[in-house]
Amino acid sequence: MVFNSIEFLIFLPIVVLLFYLLPHKWRWLMLLAASCVFYMWFVPKYILILLVTIVIDYSAGVLMERYADQHKLKKTFFVISIVSTLAVLLVFKYLNFLTANLDQLCASLGMETHLLTHIILPIGLSFHTFQSMSYVIEVYRGHQKAERHFGYYALYVMFFPQLVTGPIERPGNLLHQLHEKKEFHYENISKGMRLILFGFFVKMVVADHLGEYVDEVYGHLDEYNSWSVLGCMFFYSFQIYCDFFGYSTIALGSAKLMGFDLMDNFRSPYLSKNIAEFWHRWHISLSTWFRDYVYIPLGGSRVKFGRWAFNILVVFVLSGIWHGADWTFLLWGFAHGLLHIVEKALRNRFPSQESQSKWVKISVDALCVLKTFVLVTLFWVVFRATDLEHLKAIFVTAFTNFDGGEQMSVKPGMWIYLGLFILSDIVLRNTRFDAWCEGKPMVARWLIYAVLVFMVIACSSVKNFPFIYFQF
Amino acid sequence: MLLILNWVYSMWFYEKDLRKHSDIVELSWQVTDDSCRIIYLGESSNSHYGDEESSHRKISDFTADYFPTVKMGDLTKEASHAQTYLYMLKHIPASSAVETVVVTMNLRSFGPLWIYSKLETPLRKQLVLLEDYPPLVNRFLLAFKAYPIKTEEEWNELVFEHWRNDTFNIPNFAWRTNVDWDYGMYSYGWYDTNGQRDWDVTALACHYIKTYAFEINDDNPRVKDFDAIVALCRERGWNLVFNLMAENVDKANELVGKDLMLLFRLNRDYLLKRYGNLEGVTVVNNLSLVRDVNFIDQDWTTEHYYEEGRRIVADHLAQALREFYPGDYHNPDSLKLDVGHYFLGGTRILDEQQPYSMTLALTADSIRPDWGMVNVAFEIKQQDEYSKPVLAVEKHSPSGEVAIDSYAVNKPVQENGTWDFATFALPIDTAFRSAQIIKLYVHNFSESEVQIRNLDVSFRPAYLKARVKAQTYKSVDLNNGK
Repeated sequence: MVFNSIEFLIFLPIVVLLFYLLPHKWRWLMLLAASCVFYMWFVPKYILILLVTIVIDYSAGVLMERYADQHKLKKTFFVISIVSTLAVLLVFKYLNFLTANLDQLCASLGMETHLLTHIILPIGLSFHTFQSMSYVIEVYRGHQKAERHFGYYALYVMFFPQLVTGPIERPGNLLHQLHEKKEFHYENISKGMRLILFGFFVKMVVADHLGEYVDEVYGHLDEYNSWSVLGCMFFYSFQIYCDFFGYSTIALGSAKLMGFDLMDNFRSPYLSKNIAEFWHRWHISLSTWFRDYVYIPLGGSRVKFGRWAFNILVVFVLSGIWHGADWTFLLWGFAHGLLHIVEKALRNRFPSQESQSKWVKISVDALCVLKTFVLVTLFWVVFRATDLEHLKAIFVTAFTNFDGGEQMSVKPGMWIYLGLFILSDIVLRNTRFDAWCEGKPMVARWLIYAVLVFMVIACSSVKNFPFIYFQF
Repeated sequence: MLLILNWVYSMWFYEKDLRKHSDIVELSWQVTDDSCRIIYLGESSNSHYGDEESSHRKISDFTADYFPTVKMGDLTKEASHAQTYLYMLKHIPASSAVETVVVTMNLRSFGPLWIYSKLETPLRKQLVLLEDYPPLVNRFLLAFKAYPIKTEEEWNELVFEHWRNDTFNIPNFAWRTNVDWDYGMYSYGWYDTNGQRDWDVTALACHYIKTYAFEINDDNPRVKDFDAIVALCRERGWNLVFNLMAENVDKANELVGKDLMLLFRLNRDYLLKRYGNLEGVTVVNNLSLVRDVNFIDQDWTTEHYYEEGRRIVADHLAQALREFYPGDYHNPDSLKLDVGHYFLGGTRILDEQQPYSMTLALTADSIRPDWGMVNVAFEIKQQDEYSKPVLAVEKHSPSGEVAIDSYAVNKPVQENGTWDFATFALPIDTAFRSAQIIKLYVHNFSESEVQIRNLDVSFRPAYLKARVKAQTYKSVDLNNGK
């Protein structure tokens, strides 16, 4: 079930109503059943994969805790759990890619092989496997008590608002909330509704309109000139942001309706002054996951520069591959890692001047924001390209075809929607929409709601754009 | 707040959205602007013409020629069906001058291949803004995708599900489901004259089965939509004419045979019974009216006709409309048949005294060298099961010898005493070409009376290679009788 569907708009109020009507002891069961329905709305059979992961990781958690004093045994359970979860990911997400490349490799060596598999990626696999792994790691490290109640553990992995596209929750944040008895508070409903409304605006009005332009130009590169393609690069940066940010905001809002607080996934990433800051503001749940479970175990930043650079590259390449099984994603991750290293090296070489005047500092900051945005935008091209050939075609058209091809016209409405979003992103850089509304007079608040409701209904794109991150 | 938003949307946005996302409504508005009294609702059958044709006139244009004093308009949208027509009709303003509505009834559109076509997603999306709710609610439903969004694979899966699971409820029928039948044809299929498997022809035969092998019943979604059209037209006081389009029954009979013809008949009868007897509703039955040669698509199932086919359907429809506009009717005398097409109208009773039907007699020089086949079709009414009508082809050689080929007319499926149709596709062989005179007629060998009407003979090139149907082509019970 997707958030921007009529089914979800029927499903969510029913679940929320049942949640508050049922006694606390039955709520987990209802939420779990609702989550199953939510997930099975896509392709029912894939729930079996989820079930396998849940059973393995739940058992591993319990066994690790039971044998906490027998380190080898505990480690064995830990390894079994991690390997099996990664194996699921490997088979369903990477096997097609691996076999296709093996076939190509063999072909280049003059051998004919037919290893290519055609396995369909279950929706949200990367998200819930990472969420499951975070639990196992935390239990292994002793930071988290193993969940004894299978239902609650299954709900932790399957909690429907964040099941298919995150935020990738940690047991420390979500699991205990699931156990807590939630009372009905109007404030939660109000905040949740605001977030959902804002999320719909960002996804359906901004992202989807941009998507129409992006799909048209990237899908017909030979018909358009460089200006159209450069415009497309710019728009895609906002499309992917608004798409994912919109989804995450709706997820936060949906959970908030029942009193659950999910972690923020975005904090105005395009206002970042460097790539390191960008990753502190973009897909926060994933970047912190890699920080806590890969980067820090590798030594983090408390190592020599060379080793640190290696750690960074490993993390970013893994992050790239996490997004998708293709060379373009690997390249995208590598480019981010490399830029991170270069920026750090430059900062070490040219430390910032503390004595700068306010206006100089603002100007420098603005230029840094612009520089980061331009580089991130260029990297998004790598991310968006369907393969390396497409990537090459995009860059060639973008920089060599200024005189030929058509100029794609941009609807005035699109500029208005994008302008409104950029404005909101600046205003909300240190806060969230629900909290920002709190301090406003009632008339202003309701005016904002009315404008948003109207835009979501009357100005949303009617083309069907699935959430971009569904594919991961 | 919502009321105000609805007002704002209705005032400044709705019409623009309708034009943008539901362009069919523009067609409905056009009718009002033009003050049409008769409107013709159709799909691609009303908009297709052959590449080489100079005339691009539609069926509705030809029909309009018969009523020069009555303004007639058409609402034509490709791939549309009863549900689309219903929404089009709903949006014809009450102030319009419309008196009579002609709605295309396409037999193919009742089958799973069309009901679950991938074109349904865009078609259904078009209809969301036209729902009977307040405009803002309609836009809300459109924004939140309140229409079936499925991939082509998902639509195909639905089609397969129906092919697999919809069983034929016909006593002693050779096939259980569409899939069984399709597989039977695929397994036995067609061979060329060298005994090699002719996969192209077999595939086409299979496609005819996939397209037409279904039974219409009360649960069919199209039936529900046609029912709603009837109710709407009654409410609006419009005369309603369902124009049952011609299908290529010649080719269906040639490639698949009597079992498929049985389904054509049963489905046609269902529609005639359901709608033909309703007050204010007329069903024009064109099903078997257009000969193979007049179908543009020879390797697919469509209702795209060459000009002659379009004229024939228009003429038939005009006769039905004449009932409503007797004073305005004028015969434009436009129904000139193409070379090689002969139509012998009228009815003949074939009994012991007069066992022959009307006869088409041709001299050898009228058979063009590029013609390879002749399609013969006629309507038949048999008194009882003892009658033995045959199609006879007499070939008179220059030396005066007469050879007669006879082809048995399959037993009709209806009750005795009702009109049925028969169609034959005969090869033009050497004997045919070398004959000096050729005569085609129906001969009744029994004492039981038979009636024949509208003998339709159409010569055409052999679109398909010479071929033979496998002798063993028969029921394959894939499910071992389960």
